[in-house]
Amino acid sequence: MMQRPMCSLPLSPAVKVKLVSAGFQFTADLIHLNPDQLSGEAGLSREEAEDVLQAAGTGGPLSASVSALELLQKEEETRSIVTFCSLLDSVLGGGLPVGRTAEICGVPGVGKTQLCLQLAVDVQVPACFGGVGGQVIYIDTEGSFLLQRVVDVATAAVRHCSLLVEDDDQRAAMMTFTVEIILSNIFLVRSRDYVELLAELHLLPDFLSDHPGVRLLVIDSVAFPFRQIDNLSQRTRLLHSLAQQLAAMANTHNVAVVTTNHMTTRLRGGLSQLVPALGESWGHASSLRLLLQWSGSQRLATILKSPGHVETSVPYQINSDGFRDADQSEQPPSKRARTLPDQSAASQSDACC
Amino acid sequence: MVLLRGGMCPGLEEDLVRDLRAADVKTVEDLVSSDIEELAQRCSVSFKALFAIRRVLLAQHTAFPVSGADLYEELLSSTAILSTGNPSLDKLLDSGLYTGEITELSGGPGSGKSQVCFGASVHISFHLKQSVIYVDTTGGLTASRLLQMLQSETSNTEEQMEALQRIHVFHSFDVYSLLDCLYSLCSGGLQQASAGGGSAKAVIVDSVSAVISPLLGGKQNEGLSLMTQVAGVLKTLAKDFNAAVLVTNHVTRSSSGEVQPGLGASWSHVPRTRVLLERVEEAAAASCSSLRFATLIKSSRQPCLIKEELDLQWWSRSQVEHSGKRKLDETDP
Repeated sequence: MMQRPMCSLPLSPAVKVKLVSAGFQFTADLIHLNPDQLSGEAGLSREEAEDVLQAAGTGGPLSASVSALELLQKEEETRSIVTFCSLLDSVLGGGLPVGRTAEICGVPGVGKTQLCLQLAVDVQVPACFGGVGGQVIYIDTEGSFLLQRVVDVATAAVRHCSLLVEDDDQRAAMMTFTVEIILSNIFLVRSRDYVELLAELHLLPDFLSDHPGVRLLVIDSVAFPFRQIDNLSQRTRLLHSLAQQLAAMANTHNVAVVTTNHMTTRLRGGLSQLVPALGESWGHASSLRLLLQWSGSQRLATILKSPGHVETSVPYQINSDGFRDADQSEQPPSKRARTLPDQSAASQSDACC
Repeated sequence: MVLLRGGMCPGLEEDLVRDLRAADVKTVEDLVSSDIEELAQRCSVSFKALFAIRRVLLAQHTAFPVSGADLYEELLSSTAILSTGNPSLDKLLDSGLYTGEITELSGGPGSGKSQVCFGASVHISFHLKQSVIYVDTTGGLTASRLLQMLQSETSNTEEQMEALQRIHVFHSFDVYSLLDCLYSLCSGGLQQASAGGGSAKAVIVDSVSAVISPLLGGKQNEGLSLMTQVAGVLKTLAKDFNAAVLVTNHVTRSSSGEVQPGLGASWSHVPRTRVLLERVEEAAAASCSSLRFATLIKSSRQPCLIKEELDLQWWSRSQVEHSGKRKLDETDP
């Protein structure tokens, strides 16, 4: 058996120094000791000694593995959050996967926040309509959360579901799927800078334990607070640990984590290129990366990276009801389609649920 | 070094250990490096006895020389080369992942690192019938993608399920839980994971940089020490437990704009073989190709900087032949 050194344990540096100077270099050296003996021999307080023994004890059989088969079964059981854009849903295999991290990048005005608001409503679609029926935490760092817009999107979603009602289950579910209840299931957090954002994320695991119904965490956006930091190496480090926190939260609490990101210009060999902001290493942070972009007058959603999907682009539009399939008609969708309420009816029928 | 305990070796009694402790000699290291003559006087034991104890302790804790011929014999009997299933990658790696070595894949976001890990674990599990330990630190492992790859190998559901069952997944999102996981693999986890005797031969960590890079930089130097710990235990897994270790790493850009693997110079000594994955840059900026360039940047067997073109769809190729109309899988994380 391999000896595990003390310095690999999650303990404070001061405690580690005391342990090592008392001659305890490996966890095996602690096996026969009780907290009182240890605190005497290493000059630690009793609480510290208890912590040390607890940390040293966990190295054994604690971490349990799951086989890929169990993981597959879990994946098949978890529903995805529909986006109401059937093309995007189908390339994503049913929608945004719960239990994973995703990032939405795009230039200003292309619809990042619109998609986030849409998802915040969609995650609440009751299970009997094929939805997830969960709550949402919405962390707004840019001040772009528009309540009036949420009401529009929610009204459209309720109307859409009420048209689909077929049996008693669904009729009963509609009683709790109203605009008012949708709004009450959105927990909005306004973070003004990165310190507030990081502090909020430290508190979130407890909040998630208290609210097991939460299935979606939105951070709109990560780029804004972090682009204020001048010290690049500090920014990179904070972002790396943020990414790990989000991945852990998505996995342990089974929530979908959606972050948004700005675009920035990179010069390479004299050519300028639009790339997602926050540097290349942030690209590893989320397992799914979605790019929203303009192609002429059409909006396109592109899967930039994903462990399980094809790299494709699909058109979409944003109208008064929210994020929808692009019109199939010849008429090109207007750049600001949401200001034209007359298009809503056409796309309503396309929306998938 | 190890703490001195009574009964560790002949002549080292509890009383003597207590006396030595009083003289501030607590570990084997302290005893071996102290002046025996002075210590004998201070603890009032015979110089001869202490000298004998020191010799025994040194013999117990030393490393043994092994002759090259013996080592070669052992090498021939114990080394296995696990094919990744992808011919161009195998060519680069001199026919596959070697047990006893750490192989590293590095690349930017979407360069196909995880896809290579998926493909290799499916190949090892299905074709070589070996258990695979997959440590996922980013939450990127998608079992349905593994199934998709398996479906291109066989249409027998039972065989697919068996192969999936041989892939053991651990989730750890910070460096301490990664260390917990790796140490528990060292102390029995590898054997447990193996289906029919022996121990698991393949350990994949995707990605190692995700948990280490939050600790690096800044003023604290604890990160470097933890990185060394991870490197040490990975090497133990590879060498002492004879596993093929595959890790992934992100990339950074040097001041001249060159792409290089992340985690800095001290990590660069850890993997024996390093492969850099890059997207094939085409005229269209948003090309959706599954082709990647793989460059060998460190190897002890092959000349470096060999470049191969790698098709990430190789692992699900037969599906193309069967149903040409369905556009296949994907890319990366």
